[in-house]
This record gives sequence, structure tokens and C-alpha cells, in this order.
Amino acid sequence: MKKKKMLLSQETMDIAMVRKVESLSGTSVRRCFQCGKCSAGCPMATFMEHPPNRVVRLLQLGQWQRILAGRSIWYCASCETCSTRCPNKVHLASIMDALRKLSWDHDGPSKESYVQLANKLFLQNIRTYGRQYEMRLAAVFNVKSGQFLKDMMLGPKLLTKGKLKVFHQKNKNMAEIEKIFSRIEEMRRKGEAL
Amino acid sequence: MSELRYAYYPGCSLHASASEYDLSTREVFAALSIGLDEVPDWICCGATPAHNVDELLSLSLCAKNLELAEQVSGDMAVACAACFSRLKFAQHVLKEDDRKLHQVEQAIDAKVPLERNVKHLLEILVRDLGAKRLGQAVKKPLSGLKVACYYGCLLTRPPEVPQLDDCEAPTIMEQLLHAVGAETVDWTHKMECCGANFTLSRPGVVLQLSNAILDSAKAAGADCIMVGCPLCHGNLDIRQKEIEGVYHRSYDMPIFYLTQLVGLALGVPADRLGLDALIVSPQRLLRERKLL
Repeated sequence: MKKKKMLLSQETMDIAMVRKVESLSGTSVRRCFQCGKCSAGCPMATFMEHPPNRVVRLLQLGQWQRILAGRSIWYCASCETCSTRCPNKVHLASIMDALRKLSWDHDGPSKESYVQLANKLFLQNIRTYGRQYEMRLAAVFNVKSGQFLKDMMLGPKLLTKGKLKVFHQKNKNMAEIEKIFSRIEEMRRKGEAL
Repeated sequence: MSELRYAYYPGCSLHASASEYDLSTREVFAALSIGLDEVPDWICCGATPAHNVDELLSLSLCAKNLELAEQVSGDMAVACAACFSRLKFAQHVLKEDDRKLHQVEQAIDAKVPLERNVKHLLEILVRDLGAKRLGQAVKKPLSGLKVACYYGCLLTRPPEVPQLDDCEAPTIMEQLLHAVGAETVDWTHKMECCGANFTLSRPGVVLQLSNAILDSAKAAGADCIMVGCPLCHGNLDIRQKEIEGVYHRSYDMPIFYLTQLVGLALGVPADRLGLDALIVSPQRLLRERKLL
């Protein structure tokens, strides 16, 4: 395969995107000097095509489309090891949150769909029930991801151990919970919230 | 003796997959005469999925819980490491960022109680009650039980948020266990990630990371692992058989919630600690150590 040459110039940088991520995450993208400590301690780096330090470098260099199109951001476990160890106090876990939000908002063309599906169903459950309905979460995930038999062997065992609650009561304060979701949507429509 | 009383936030898992954590928490607190008033109508904290893609929603759900907790008095007592982390994160971020605070207040249509103390059960038992008083309440010391204390990610990281203990070498779990007479082992993986919520979306990740944790605990000579998080528990306990199959290993390593071990030492009857709900049965181990 022929290697593509990477062109770097003032024009290929995207300072607006860097500022956007910094504003969303409340941390500095520009302070990273590529020591690689985040990737050295990252338990998920082996599953990513771009390890954490490279995610930041690509962002600094205006190559954020490559990050959003890939699966690295969705394979971050939010374990906070990178943020804890960064010598420059770059809160990388928050940068990952910000990048996921940007990808999410535009229904990002990411290769990773299972993690996004799990997130979506989790949040839908909160809006419908107030508290997490674990059994429904797992069942709907299996149906929607087409993995009907995933973890089927665990089901009966969990049921007999009382770990799967088949019936789930909705919260009494559902109206208040719905208001939180709808107010946030309203604020976003008006451009008052990110 | 001053009376201790807390506003209890169990979190979603404790009402389903981790009901034994809820049961044993209530039993241990009752045995120690510490009051627990459950926060009325508490809602999901949003956990990882919410902050993963929508920080404002995550902050708002946590802020709503802090507001709901105003109906009961005392510091908040949180059992789940993830709920604990999210509630502390919300307070931390909203104290520092006026713009986000304003948006969250608009979303929940109320002020956010930023100064309410949010504590994990570990802090309450080891610091508020104190290891010494806990030790005095012990009826059946866990002598001879060698435990690997597993902290996971969110109890201590990032250091400025939970402020529970040292972020790389915490000892609060060890202090708890020494107070009830158990031994602890030094091991390599007490702070490593178990794979967390990938258990739903990408279980292969969990198998690999949790296998490394079980392997390290076994190599250090531990009889069992103690956790303070329902997700870590699920990954290490519920998926242990599968891990053994995939990696051709044999662990048979019981995974206890911290309140189950403390409860045993306090003389709470075993059937009131939900030991039967554990997938990897601790019966043989506890009988061998004459704890059942």
C-alpha cells in the first residue's frame, strides 16, 4: 500500500475545533507535549487504533475527522488514569467526553456502533423509567445489535440468584425527570447550551 | 457516642444485580447503629453513558439527586463507586464553572447543593465511625482470611475529585479489613480497570482486563477479592466462569462486597448478607476459615 504523505501547514490546523473541545472539556488541548504517559497507563490502548496521546496530537494538528471516524474514543473506559498521571494536567478523560459528544451530536460516522447503541439505550431507559432497568437494557441491546444469544447462558443463573429483576417500577417523579431532558433540548434549540 | 446518620443513595444496581450489596449495607449499618435514610425518589446518576456523550445531562441528573437528597439530613452515603464518582464530579465541575452551573440550574429548575458532603461507605466506616470503633464491634474476627483489596478506577481517580485516598496507592480498604481482623495481600492490580460498562457492549474487553486482575490476585496468594463497586463485582464474579473458560484458567475466587465481609465480622447472620447471591460460591472458603 502506498503511504499517503501528511501535509502540515497553517491551513491544515483547526484552532476553532481545538477551542471548541477545550471549552466543552474545560481542559487544555494545547498544553500536551506528547510524553506518552497517558497511553503507557491506558488499559484500553491495545483496543484503539489511535492511542490516547495520538488522539490529542491529531486534534492539535487539525486531523480531528480521523479521530471521530475511528473507534478510539468509543473504546475509552473513562478510568481516569490518563488524567491522573498527566504531568501537564491535561484532563484527557474530559477531552474524550468532549470528542464523543461531538461525534454523537452529528451521529458521527464512527466505526464503533455497539458502544453507541449501549449508551443510547441506557439514556432512553433513564428517560422512560427514572432508574436503570438492567434486564431491559441487556435484552433490547441483544435484539438491536442482532446478537440474540449474547450472554444467554448467564440469564437463568442471574434469575435464580435474584440479580435480574424482570419487573421494574417507574419512578414516581417521572414528570420532573422528563422536564430535565426537555429543558436541556430546549436550551440547545435556543443555542443556550452546548 | 455521637449518633451517625446519613442520606442513603443506593444507585440502580443495588436494586437489581447488586441487591446483596444493598442488603448487606443496611445490615452492617444497623449492626453499628448508624442511621440510613434513603433519598426519596432518587434517580439514575447517568453513570458512564451520560457523561460519555452529554455532559450537561450527566451534571443535571447528579444535581437533581443532590437536590432530592435535601429532603433527608446528614452527609450522603453512596455505595456504588460509579455513582459516588459522578456525584463528586458534578459538584467539582459546577463549583469551578459558572456557565455550566447556570445551565444545570436551568435544567433542574433549582439551586444545586454544592457543599453537601458525598461519602462512599468506606469513608463512613473507616473515618466517620473510625477503624477503632469498628474493631470494638467485631464479634467474629476474619482471622486467616487473605483478601485482595480491589479499588478499581473511580474511588480514587482523578485525585482532585473523589479525594478519598491516595490516587496510586490507597490503603483505606486495607485499614477497613485490618480493623475486622482479616489479612490483606500486596498485589499489582488493585487500581487497574476491570473493563467497566463494556460488559454490555464489548464483553471481550472485560474478559481480557478482568482476567489480568483475577490472575494477579491469585498469584499474590489471595483467597478472595473485596470490592466497593457493583460493576467491578459483576465483571469479576458473574463473568469469572466465562473468563476461566476463555483463558483456560481456574480461579474459584469469591468476590465480596466490603459490607459482606464487615457484616460477617460483626456477627450478622450469613443469610442476611446475601452470600447466596454470589455466583462464585464463598461457602467452601468461609467454612475452611471457620467463618460460617
